[in-house]
Amino acid sequence: MDVPRTVTTALEDRPVDGAICLEAGAGVGNTTAGLLANGAACVYAVTDDRTHAETTLERVLANHNLADRNRDGEQIERHLAVLEADLRRVPLPNDTVEVITAHGLFNVVPPADLDAIIGELTRVAASGCHLVVDDYEPLPETAAVRDLFALENAAAQLVDAKPMLTFYPSATLAWLFAGHGWTVDRSRTLLDPVPWTESHLEAHADVVRSKIDALPADSELGGALLERAEALVAAIGSESAGEMYSIAFRRPE
Amino acid sequence: METRDLGSTGHESTVVTFGAIALNWLEQEGANQLVELVLDRGVNHFDVAPTYGDAELKLGPKLRQHREEIYLGCKTQERDYDGARRKLERSLDRLGVDHIDLYQVHGLEYEDELEAITGEDGALAAFRDAKAEGLIGDIGLTSHGNPQLILDAMDRIDDLATLMFPLNPVVAAKGDDGHDYEAVLERAEEAGIGTLGIKAFAKGSWPPTEELPEADRPYANWYEPVETPEAIRERFDFAASQGLSTVVSPGDPKLVAMVLDAATRYDGMSEHEQRSLIEEARHDDSPVPEQLHH
Repeated sequence: MDVPRTVTTALEDRPVDGAICLEAGAGVGNTTAGLLANGAACVYAVTDDRTHAETTLERVLANHNLADRNRDGEQIERHLAVLEADLRRVPLPNDTVEVITAHGLFNVVPPADLDAIIGELTRVAASGCHLVVDDYEPLPETAAVRDLFALENAAAQLVDAKPMLTFYPSATLAWLFAGHGWTVDRSRTLLDPVPWTESHLEAHADVVRSKIDALPADSELGGALLERAEALVAAIGSESAGEMYSIAFRRPE
Repeated sequence: METRDLGSTGHESTVVTFGAIALNWLEQEGANQLVELVLDRGVNHFDVAPTYGDAELKLGPKLRQHREEIYLGCKTQERDYDGARRKLERSLDRLGVDHIDLYQVHGLEYEDELEAITGEDGALAAFRDAKAEGLIGDIGLTSHGNPQLILDAMDRIDDLATLMFPLNPVVAAKGDDGHDYEAVLERAEEAGIGTLGIKAFAKGSWPPTEELPEADRPYANWYEPVETPEAIRERFDFAASQGLSTVVSPGDPKLVAMVLDAATRYDGMSEHEQRSLIEEARHDDSPVPEQLHH
């Protein structure tokens, strides 16, 4: 399967070959595929979303063509474990993982959960572990997609009492990880501007829709939020705005 | 306008090459004006073909007036010796010149065509004879086909001076071998072969003809092009920053001035901007639902 350039660019200077890896927040498996393509000894892909866990497995295994699936005479399955788990309680022992990736993870982590997750990633990291954090800088005030993300957060706050999306400045995450003993190895820009395509905007509108579904049917607020979200998606179409960054950290030996 | 070595031909091509098919859609007076505009912007490499309607005939007058300023590329779809020779003579006649600087095998698509052109009675033998007679200068090949076939052609044609092939973010976003024109570009660079990028401005295929009849398309291009100055500039900058020798302008005359402007202003494109365009194309075309992220 195709590994996005954002992933290949973030991994290209990291020692993935032969490493025990953890993809924190597996999404649809793009980074897991990138880690396997770069020769990871094994990848633990952790996500708390069952659909994502299934999609990761399906895309990385079933969609792999047969030629790609054999590596050193072994099936790629033997290099991959998809774990459905909460990143605040990673089901791995202490000091075991050599490369950790958090590609597009932290923007879906509410502020209240940040410290617990960073603590867990630090706990499972082996001495000398490499960590790659790829995420979005806060959007510029002029970006139209901010309004859509604001509606998404409003819907999530109503239903779950926590935001859906938080774009942490790279400097903020760097300080948080530094507080857990990590040092910054390098930082680079992955995307500038970030293309928010029609399919992205639809996906974000779907989040609003799914949150609203959990509200009482007569919720006027829910209906208004959804109507506004749909109007925004239609009005914006697509937009290129903001920056996606990649910070690589080391855990001291 | 920036110029770059066209491989080892000794010619330095401007970063944009004028795709003279655009002249086919204009009356002679308009065609003359477009050629003057292109030359005024400093473009020194033109590309034409006998299959582009009347483009050869309409290019003729201004080509002859400015012959020394123009490195002229032409091509043939004939695969055998006699056919290629006939088409070459016909093009020389229609263009009204006695020399074509770059003569190219046009639109190589199948393995058996490669067999045919490289055979004893093949088109390339006619090209070589014409080169010895001084009718043509360099020998090139163009293809929208499988990159692997182009790589094979490079292995089998020792005197290949240039290659013309598609390169744009939509193609770059596809990671499979069937779209790996970047491998062609890399090998061409190593081999000192000049590279001409086509389809740089393609947004996608036209809708099916039952939805949009061919006669109702707003542009003459084979594909639906990007059409705003910003998008044209992004696409030009992307193509020019991949390492191509030159980027061929699109086939519709309405787009040419915008492309000339982009080429005049070209000053590179950062890698993160290039990745943005690839990402955008990847998501436009993604089979995976519900992607919140990049």
